[in-house]
Amino acid sequence: MAQGDDLARIISGCKKGDPQCFSRVVDMYASRCYGYFHRLTGSSDTSDELLSELFVKLVEKIGSYRGGSFESWLFTIASNIFHDHLRSKQRLKKLAEVSQEELEWQVSEPKHSDGEMVDRLQGQLVKLDGETRELIMLRFYSQLSFKEIAQMRSEPIGTTLAKTHRGLKKLRQLMEGS
Amino acid sequence: MSDQNRENLRELVEKFFDARQAESCLEDFQKAEQILQEHPAPQPNEMLLANIKAEIARRLPVKRAEITRHRAWELAGMAAAIAIVAFLGVQLSHHPARQHTLRASLWPTAVWESNNLAADDADLAVFTAEIEQVRSEVVALESGQETVEPDSAVTDLEMQLVEISSDFWKG
Repeated sequence: MAQGDDLARIISGCKKGDPQCFSRVVDMYASRCYGYFHRLTGSSDTSDELLSELFVKLVEKIGSYRGGSFESWLFTIASNIFHDHLRSKQRLKKLAEVSQEELEWQVSEPKHSDGEMVDRLQGQLVKLDGETRELIMLRFYSQLSFKEIAQMRSEPIGTTLAKTHRGLKKLRQLMEGS
Repeated sequence: MSDQNRENLRELVEKFFDARQAESCLEDFQKAEQILQEHPAPQPNEMLLANIKAEIARRLPVKRAEITRHRAWELAGMAAAIAIVAFLGVQLSHHPARQHTLRASLWPTAVWESNNLAADDADLAVFTAEIEQVRSEVVALESGQETVEPDSAVTDLEMQLVEISSDFWKG
């Protein structure tokens, strides 16, 4: 993985509109971002869409990146995209509750509706509350420090640490108990 | 997790937990990380990545045009700002009010640097001439050249001096 000056050079190239540099960024971060989306949505189709949206946003917003942790900047966009997805899903769900029962089933159970195998971890992750699940995935896939995550979430570092610890402890118990 | 996240997790945890809790917390972190690593999420397929790269390539010319347009606007804005500042500078330096102000600011300097204050002030010149006249009359009286009555002449001179002094202080 490119580090330091190399990453700075690649991002500088992206800012100038160099497709090769964007291609490098995709190669560097697609796997982690996809894992983040997949663990949060449980759906390959949705993860495909969100990952595509993330890199389109990257092209649009790269000019606003002003240095600092690129991972932090990128995963902030990823988190916003995921939250937008949740909001649109909520809207669809409400619409479905009112009008179409069939549609409700489709949007509320996406992870099982596409016929893919749900691994054991995914099955236990859904037992955690949404915020904790997101925090754990952000920590694991973004590889950000607690300080960076706390800044991203605008909360004290102790709060972030305690929430993550509670979540990981529960996940460990669920995995060891299942 | 502490290495890949570029931080000393033990040091951080020990800030918030006592020694026993910190050990337990670190163990939870370590075990949970191990579980996450043992259950990797699916990877994006090559087709998806190729499509993303193609989509980026498709959008870049538009983006580049936007960047160029943005820079052109920035440059135009800067040029306009420089032109306005230059224009205002030229206008102000030739403005009659500014010229007047300049003269006004120079005037006291000329007065204070003058070696002939009497010539600078017409009133002062008149008073100086009158004092000089009175002085010559006093000298004439003292030398006995004056033909008028000495008492009345002295009284007239005193009156003139009082009048001059009074006018002088009135301005």
